[in-house]
Amino acid sequence: MGRLASSARLVVVGGMLAYRALFNWTTPAMFVGTLLAAPLLRLAFFVYLGRRLGIADDRFFVLGNTVLAASFVCVYGGTMAVANERRYGTLGAILLSPRGRLTLWLGRALPYVINAILVVAFTLGVSVLVFDVELAPGELLALVPVFLAGIVSCAAFGLTLGAIGLRARDVFLTANVAASLLLLLTGANIPASALPGWMAVGRALPLTHSVAATQAITEGSGPAELLPYLGWELAVGLGYATLACLLLRYFEYGSRRRGTLDTV
Amino acid sequence: MRPMLAIEALDLSRVFHVRSGWLRTRRTETIAARGISFEVRSGELFGLLGPNGAGKTTTIKMLNTLLLPTSGTARVLGHDVVRDPMAVRRRIGYVFGGDRGLYDRLTALDNLRYFSELYGVDPREQRSRIAELLELVGLAGREKERVEGYSRGMRQRLHIARGLLNRPSVLFLDEPSIGVDPVAARDLRRTIAELADAGTTVLLTTHYMAEADELCDRIAVIAGGRIRASGTPAELKTRVRSRDVLELEVYGVDDTHVTRLRDLPSVRDIAVEERGQAQLVILQVDQGADPRRDALDVLDGLRVGRIVNREPTLEDAYVAIVEEAARSAAGSVRAPA
Repeated sequence: MGRLASSARLVVVGGMLAYRALFNWTTPAMFVGTLLAAPLLRLAFFVYLGRRLGIADDRFFVLGNTVLAASFVCVYGGTMAVANERRYGTLGAILLSPRGRLTLWLGRALPYVINAILVVAFTLGVSVLVFDVELAPGELLALVPVFLAGIVSCAAFGLTLGAIGLRARDVFLTANVAASLLLLLTGANIPASALPGWMAVGRALPLTHSVAATQAITEGSGPAELLPYLGWELAVGLGYATLACLLLRYFEYGSRRRGTLDTV
Repeated sequence: MRPMLAIEALDLSRVFHVRSGWLRTRRTETIAARGISFEVRSGELFGLLGPNGAGKTTTIKMLNTLLLPTSGTARVLGHDVVRDPMAVRRRIGYVFGGDRGLYDRLTALDNLRYFSELYGVDPREQRSRIAELLELVGLAGREKERVEGYSRGMRQRLHIARGLLNRPSVLFLDEPSIGVDPVAARDLRRTIAELADAGTTVLLTTHYMAEADELCDRIAVIAGGRIRASGTPAELKTRVRSRDVLELEVYGVDDTHVTRLRDLPSVRDIAVEERGQAQLVILQVDQGADPRRDALDVLDGLRVGRIVNREPTLEDAYVAIVEEAARSAAGSVRAPA
C-alpha cells in the first residue's frame, strides 16, 4: 500500500474511530442537546436581545451565531480528541505508534470539521425558517466557503487546546474560557466597531474573519471582496494548526526527556 | 558464535526531577535506574523482577522509547532507542497491566482496528490478523461488545492482542497478570509461553514468582534501580540452597514480632504475606536448623495455625536478594560520608 494511501487511511479511518472513542458527546441526547439545541437557543437569545435593544437586524445575529455554532464542536471536540488520550490512559499506546505525527493528530480534526458542517447547516436552516430571514441564492453560495474556512480554522484552534491538555490537567477550564472569548470577541453578537480597541485581539481568534465576511455578504460585497476575509481566516487556522503540531511535538519530546506525561 | 541479541541495555540510568509548589518551589530528584545492564537473546523469555518502585517500568519505558535514558545506551534488535525510535517502535509490542490503555466506548474489534491503523498493519491483512488474535486470546465471539463491559481478565487479554497486532519481534509485558483471576492468569501464561515458543522475544515484568519460574528462561532481579542478581530460575534458587524454609500461619503478627523473629540466630530472611485474616510468616533459616520453638516463643499469645517446613523456591531466592539489597542500601545510608 502506498504511503499516501496509508496516511489517508490513518486520517479517515483512524480519525473516525478516534472520534467515536474520545468524543464525549456522541450519544443522541448529548449530541442534540449540546451541539444542536444549545447553539440555536443562544442564537434566539441574541436575536431577541438585538430586536429589543435595536443593535442590529436579525440577519446580523443569525449569520454571526451560525458561524459561532461551529465553536462548540470544534473547541470542545478538538480538546477531547487529544486531551482525552491522557484521561483514558491511552497516550502511551499512541506515542508508541511508528506513524507520522502530522497525520495522526491532524486527522483527528476531520470528524469535527464534518460534525461542525452539520451543526452549521442545521443552525442556519432552522434559524432562517424560524426568524424568517431572507437569503438570496447568491448570498447562500457565498456563505459556504466562509463557513468552511471558519470551521477548519476553529478545528485547528481546538487541536491547539487539546495539545495544551496533554500537559494541563484542567484543560476544560481553558476550553470554557476559549469558548467564552469566541462569544465575546469574534463580533458575532457585538459589532467589532463597538468593542474597545484592545479587544481587537479577537482578530487572532478563529471565526472572527468569517463573522466579518458574513456581515460583508449581507452588505452586498461580491466574491472578490470576500477573499481577504477568507485568506485571514485560513491564515489564523494555519497558525493554530502549526502551533498545535509544535506543541504536540514539544510535549512528546518533553515526555520522553522528563517523563512529564502520564503515558501509562 | 555470539547469539543474536534482541535487547542490549548498557549502563542505563534515569533520573527524574520533580518541581512542586508555586511560591516556594521545591525540587526533588528521584533516581529510578542506576546503571542497568543486561542482554536478552533473540527468542528468549526474560523476566525482570523487583518490588514496587524498583525501576522495572522505567527500564521498560527506556527500552520501548517512551523515556530517554539520562545516561547509558540501549538497542533493540540493533536499533538505538534514542537515535532511531521509529525503527524500534515498528518492531516491538508493549502490553501493560491494569484497566487503562483501551478505549472503553469502543468494542474490542474497533479497538484493534484503530491500533492496527496506528501500528501500520497492512489493511489487507487487518481483518484476518484481528480474527487470529481474538482467537489466540480467547475473545472470539465477544469482539463486538464494548470494552467498558469487559472484566479485568478480558481487558488484559485484549491488551495482549493489541500488543501483537504488528507481529512484534520483541514484546514487552509489564505486569500483564496484575489483578487477573487465577484461571485467566493461567490462560495468560499459556499465551505468553506460546508466543515465546513461536520465536517472539519477551521481556516480562511480574510480581508473581511462580509465573516467572514457570515462564522465564532467565531472570534479573532489580531493586533500588540496580540489577542485584541474574540467571536462570534454577541458578537463582541456588542462592538459597543452603537454607530451609519454615512457614507459620499466624493471626495478628505485627512489626515487633517480625523484628524479633528476624533477630533469631538461625533466621536469615523473613517475609510476611497477608492471607485473609491471617498472615503467613516465611522464615528462611540455616539448613538443618529448627527455630520452631524459638519462633513460637516470640509469637506467644498469638493464634498460630499451620506450620510447614519446605524446600526454598524462586520466591525465597527473590526475597533473599531484595532483602539483601535493602540491607546494603540501609548500610550505605548509615555509613558516614
